[in-house]
Amino acid sequence: MGLQPINPYKRYIMVTVKINGKEITVEDNTLILDAARDAGYEIPTFCYQADLMGIGSCRMCLVEIEGQKKLQPSCVTPVLHGISILTETPTVMSARASMLEFLLANHAMDCPVCDKGGECELQDMVYKYGPHKGRHAEPKFKFHEKDYALSPVIIKNSNRCVQCMKCVRVCREVVGRNVLGALGRGDHQEPTSFFRSFLDCDADGNCIEVCPVGCFMRLPYRYKTRPWDLKGADTICPYCATGCRMVIEHRDGEVIRARAQLGVGMNSETLCARGRFGYEIINSEARLTTPLVRRQRHGTLEPATWEEAFRIIKERMPSLGGNTVGGIAGARLATEELYLFQKLMREVFKTPNVDSGSRWDAAAVEGFIAATDMAEGGVSVFDCMEADTVFVIGSQVSEENPVTEYIIRRISAGRRMNVIIAGPRAMKLDSSANLLLRHYPAAEAALLSAVILDINAAKLAASADLTAAKDAKLDGHLKAAGLTIDDVRALATKLRNSESIAIMAGTEFLRYPHGIESLNLLKELLRSLGKKVRVMPLLDRSNQRGAWEMGVHPAFGPGYVKAPAPGLGISGMLDAAADNSMDALYIAGADPAALYPDEAHVKEALSKVRFLVVQDIFLTETARLADVVLPGASFAEKDGMLTNQEGRAQIIRKLLPPPGKAKVDLDIIRALGEMYDRSFGPKNAALVLDEIRRAQPMYADVSLAFNNKRNVDNKLDNKAALVKGTKAALTIRKFEQAASGQDAQYPFMLATGNHLFHSGRLTNYSKTLNDLMKGMTVEISEEDALASGLAAGERVLVSGAGFSVTLMLTVKKGTKRGVAFIAENFDAAPVNRFFRKGKGAPRVKITKA
Amino acid sequence: MNEGKGRFDIMELIKKVLFTDFVKGLVITFGYNVSMDSVITVKYPDEEKWIPYRRFRGLHTLNRTADGRELCVACELCSKACPTRCITVIPMEDNTGRGISDRVAKVWKVDLVRCLFCGYCEDACPTRAVRLGREYELACFDRNCAVKNREELLRPQPVPEEMSGGVVAKARLRTTPDGIEVVADLSETRKRRV
Amino acid sequence: MEKILLKNLNNPDAHKIDVYIKGGGYKAFEAALKLQPDNIIQMVKDSGLRGRGGAGFSTGLKWSFIPKDPTIKKYLCCNADEGEPDTFKDRGIMDWDPHLLIEGMLISSYAFGASASYVYIRGEFAFGAKRVQAAINEAYAKRFLGKNILGTGFNHDMYIHCGFGAYICGEETALLESIEGLRAQPRKKPPFPALAGLYGKPTVINNVETLACIPAIIERGPKWFSSIGPEKSPGPKIFGVSGHVKKPGLYELPMGTTLRDLIYNHCGGMLTAKPLKAVIPGGVSAPMFTAKDLDTPLDFDSVAAKGSMLGSGAVIVMDESTCIVKMAHIINRFFSHESCGKCTPCRDGSPWVTNILSRLEHGDGRPGDVELLESLCTNIFGRTFCPLADGAVMALRGAMKNFREEFLYHEKHKRCMV
Repeated sequence: MGLQPINPYKRYIMVTVKINGKEITVEDNTLILDAARDAGYEIPTFCYQADLMGIGSCRMCLVEIEGQKKLQPSCVTPVLHGISILTETPTVMSARASMLEFLLANHAMDCPVCDKGGECELQDMVYKYGPHKGRHAEPKFKFHEKDYALSPVIIKNSNRCVQCMKCVRVCREVVGRNVLGALGRGDHQEPTSFFRSFLDCDADGNCIEVCPVGCFMRLPYRYKTRPWDLKGADTICPYCATGCRMVIEHRDGEVIRARAQLGVGMNSETLCARGRFGYEIINSEARLTTPLVRRQRHGTLEPATWEEAFRIIKERMPSLGGNTVGGIAGARLATEELYLFQKLMREVFKTPNVDSGSRWDAAAVEGFIAATDMAEGGVSVFDCMEADTVFVIGSQVSEENPVTEYIIRRISAGRRMNVIIAGPRAMKLDSSANLLLRHYPAAEAALLSAVILDINAAKLAASADLTAAKDAKLDGHLKAAGLTIDDVRALATKLRNSESIAIMAGTEFLRYPHGIESLNLLKELLRSLGKKVRVMPLLDRSNQRGAWEMGVHPAFGPGYVKAPAPGLGISGMLDAAADNSMDALYIAGADPAALYPDEAHVKEALSKVRFLVVQDIFLTETARLADVVLPGASFAEKDGMLTNQEGRAQIIRKLLPPPGKAKVDLDIIRALGEMYDRSFGPKNAALVLDEIRRAQPMYADVSLAFNNKRNVDNKLDNKAALVKGTKAALTIRKFEQAASGQDAQYPFMLATGNHLFHSGRLTNYSKTLNDLMKGMTVEISEEDALASGLAAGERVLVSGAGFSVTLMLTVKKGTKRGVAFIAENFDAAPVNRFFRKGKGAPRVKITKA
Repeated sequence: MNEGKGRFDIMELIKKVLFTDFVKGLVITFGYNVSMDSVITVKYPDEEKWIPYRRFRGLHTLNRTADGRELCVACELCSKACPTRCITVIPMEDNTGRGISDRVAKVWKVDLVRCLFCGYCEDACPTRAVRLGREYELACFDRNCAVKNREELLRPQPVPEEMSGGVVAKARLRTTPDGIEVVADLSETRKRRV
Repeated sequence: MEKILLKNLNNPDAHKIDVYIKGGGYKAFEAALKLQPDNIIQMVKDSGLRGRGGAGFSTGLKWSFIPKDPTIKKYLCCNADEGEPDTFKDRGIMDWDPHLLIEGMLISSYAFGASASYVYIRGEFAFGAKRVQAAINEAYAKRFLGKNILGTGFNHDMYIHCGFGAYICGEETALLESIEGLRAQPRKKPPFPALAGLYGKPTVINNVETLACIPAIIERGPKWFSSIGPEKSPGPKIFGVSGHVKKPGLYELPMGTTLRDLIYNHCGGMLTAKPLKAVIPGGVSAPMFTAKDLDTPLDFDSVAAKGSMLGSGAVIVMDESTCIVKMAHIINRFFSHESCGKCTPCRDGSPWVTNILSRLEHGDGRPGDVELLESLCTNIFGRTFCPLADGAVMALRGAMKNFREEFLYHEKHKRCMV
């Protein structure tokens, strides 16, 4: 079913205006600034930012409109048909110079010390537009003497501020934290936190990125370098599947900055804390730099040469392993590597047992792919935001995909649309929603079933018996989800009244797969009602979608082509291993021991694998159990392609060589293959990509044109990079809801997922992110905290069946009662110990420690 | 023309026969020997050393304020201005009052093998921290010692800034375990004859 | 002339609703409720009433911009943030005749269908705020406010919002931001408040004096109103006179009264024998007049024709003992202190101007200062977000045009000419 790309409700009226005598035709209501930039004329700005509401305060963009006495700010003035705009007259030029003169009048002028020196917009503009002679000889007002830290990542010097208020606006309109504001009035106005107090914010540093001068600065980057000393490479943030384009930069081999660029990538200037400050893992001391082998059984891992490691692998890994050999590849590897990985497993080891990721059942994945139409090609998040209703379910999107959340917030604020959020926990995006549904963890199925019943109510009402049956069922669903009929009715009404609907389905569906069927049913039902429905998955690993599309899955090969004989997924492989029937397991870039939801089972299973090869960049929990550990490369050390959750294929570039003797994963996989088969290949990433493109229509004509130049028109949505659809026969298996073992003794249901500052265990190696985290936490609702007499910040003992751990309590207003959340990433409190294989959401109790 | 040339040749011939130029040269040479106070050679390095003028561009020096704080704010403009890229600056934060601001140099080094003493770094410096000093004895035995780092450059040079220079000072050669050095006595100077 | 706006100024009990009603109060409102709202707007249009806040925009026209759709909530805001130095006309009405204001607001609200109105009172006017609040309470008790007013089905609520003493709140959009609880900074226009004002709804913002004129227009008809004063800007006007005159104070006179008439007849002439040096005709942001302009009629168009503006009608009279540089310094210091900080020229330009004036005034002038001031005025004027800095620049330009030699004297001799 084809989707309409353009919002049918938008009317495009074109008007003709003259800019410096040149006639151009633009859409009505275009800002003069955009029109002039389209026409090729440069207009300087400070306070204008395409994604933010215009305030027209810096007055740099003043232009002359013929027939008007005053100069007009072009960044807030829309074009009118037939007007004539002059942008380069002496009056305009003198206005620009005079604004800069005013800005410099109270500017600190400490460029030699300022970290922004060299990439400062004020410097550049004064250089370009003058005044080249200062007339200001009065004493300057100083806000403060010394720079002060606003948060662990922000240091501030207000004396350099140009009062463009972009920091305040980006915090409010894009990030939604609203923790910045202005103090004082007039020339004493200072954008800062509440009375300069230390911020407890998302630490995403977007205020730093939008600051045109050296007022907001990165604390980790402070006084480390000048921008011209940095060498950068364009890459994609590896910490979630949003796929933010960013540049990482190093000086003398040490990566010291990651930054996003205005108008580049779908994220423009925004990143989250993980992306902006998570680069520290690249230079971490803990990186694996040499292969490790276990020379004796039960011995320790010892450094070895690549030759020795490969020799041991060759000796102990049978080439025609068949069903007793398996491979698990992490969803952080590049697409080329994943392709080669499954090729290695399928063609060299002749085993159908391949899977990606370490948490989810393979059959659930297959169903999810079918339910979210992934095989039908990419769906852009911007297209989703054109819909009348956006329905986010099964994802803590504010923490798992922060930049996707920014896009939802920013676009929904400027449009009349419904944003519906269903989830157990409160999150930042709730403030943008006009309908919130708080259900229990793992109750997506019940919620969706209830909605389906309600939408179908008219049909069912025809028969009294059916109505009664429906009511009985509905009550059951409502009870299971912990919702009222009003909630469900409101949701059903909004869906019924919308012409176009975008469903954003998160990873909870993979964690608790019994919801997938309902999701699919709802989608089909809405389509049958004649609505345009787009479904977009919200994933938490950067190349998860790429991994599936490359066929790193037991049931299908590259391009979702059904595998002739389905193999075992991760759960199957672990079960087999626990039965002592796994000869060898090759795990690349995945950490099941830390993340598979049942720690005891996974560790037992892995230790029973007769030969375990782990390839990773750190000595993970899984790597500790391995017989051979191969050091791979981080995202900064390889060329490749990643496919984000929308199905947007994007390229990453190599910045540094891998540390020590570590190698790029593609080379390791290829070398392994070549040991068994001399002709295994292709030889490098570009050739692998060629092979993928030849073999797979999905990627055949995807544009990988390296989208790293600033898009002048601020169109962030590069649709040419979306993967194409394919015909795939995927099945949605019916999953029974696993009982979570109701027990009055354990009042809380445990939810898990990524924390805002972390992505799996990988980011634990970033010092900045760890400092932001301030220790391990468990989060419960405010009412529960009050009821149990616990206060935020207290140490509490979280105990479940067979495991208990002491954590710090955080309290969130608006979270569903009876829900506790522990993030996946704590090394010392592995949340997967609470989980039991085959059981639903675990239950815990929380007491004072 | 021919006549003129012939006459010129005759004059040249006469000069050559009488060794006029040779004698002129000898007069100058012997002139130095005769009069002791017009010696223009400098007995460097055994007895004397030439102290250049202030405008001389020798080894870099990093200056301090009167109260001993480093003037360098590690802005890296010197290294940016340097045509041979011989200056490396790595800044750091230091709140102990080591420098005039909290930005100070962690590394400030200059590779004298590459340096062409153009003085651009001096011009670029916004705080007048780097100056090309009057130290010119830069020869050494390996390349590494031609890279001067911050600590060495912060040490005051033997010739103080206020001395105007352009004189020859009394000096002696001293042998140290590192090599030899010329120690000048700045209190005893003389003007150089021209 | 008969007093319309200040008729109750000398009645110490006029703020009480019984006294007010006894004096014929709320009659106009009752009469208005019987009229069609559109008729009221037409009457106000016909009366030629122009906004008394300073800009002199036709009030009836302003009301007619409000969408007629009854389903849209609309607001009326009364701008009682009388923040300009030497302006004190609205205060007289609020302190001594608050019901006149309330009646005017009620009629206006009824005319364009506002369901709620806000009186934005300057924070410093604690007494006035108390008086207006008490009057609102009385009006609620007498059912002039609330649901189903006087049985007509018209609902209206009235609230007081006290500012925190920022001059910028007198700018209408900044006033709206302030009521909404945000930083008082002007909004970009368009959209104009008539379409998207308070809380994004159509809003009319009127001055206290404007609203106080409404009951009289309803009661006596637009013809009577437009017969007072000149044709283009008719009606009574309150002039607040201060400075070197014998009897400073509030004077309610018809529009078009000449300055000479106001100063020498009504205010009793100059304070001392020293002759008049300058007079500011409409609040400190208006360029000053000299003695030769004394025959200017005080109405919007005549004053504008002479290069100044009537503004709020605050007349400041200065005699020969006044140092114009000091005056300019004081005015500019006020404006730079009151700059909201939004746009560059006002935020960074006005303090610079003030610094220079301060140096000139305190005998620290430097050669070229006057030229620099002129250049800065050019750079600020017309390039700011709102008219605040324009006002400061206009005042300074007016002073420098008429008394340039004084500025030059300060620059050269580093002391005052007077």
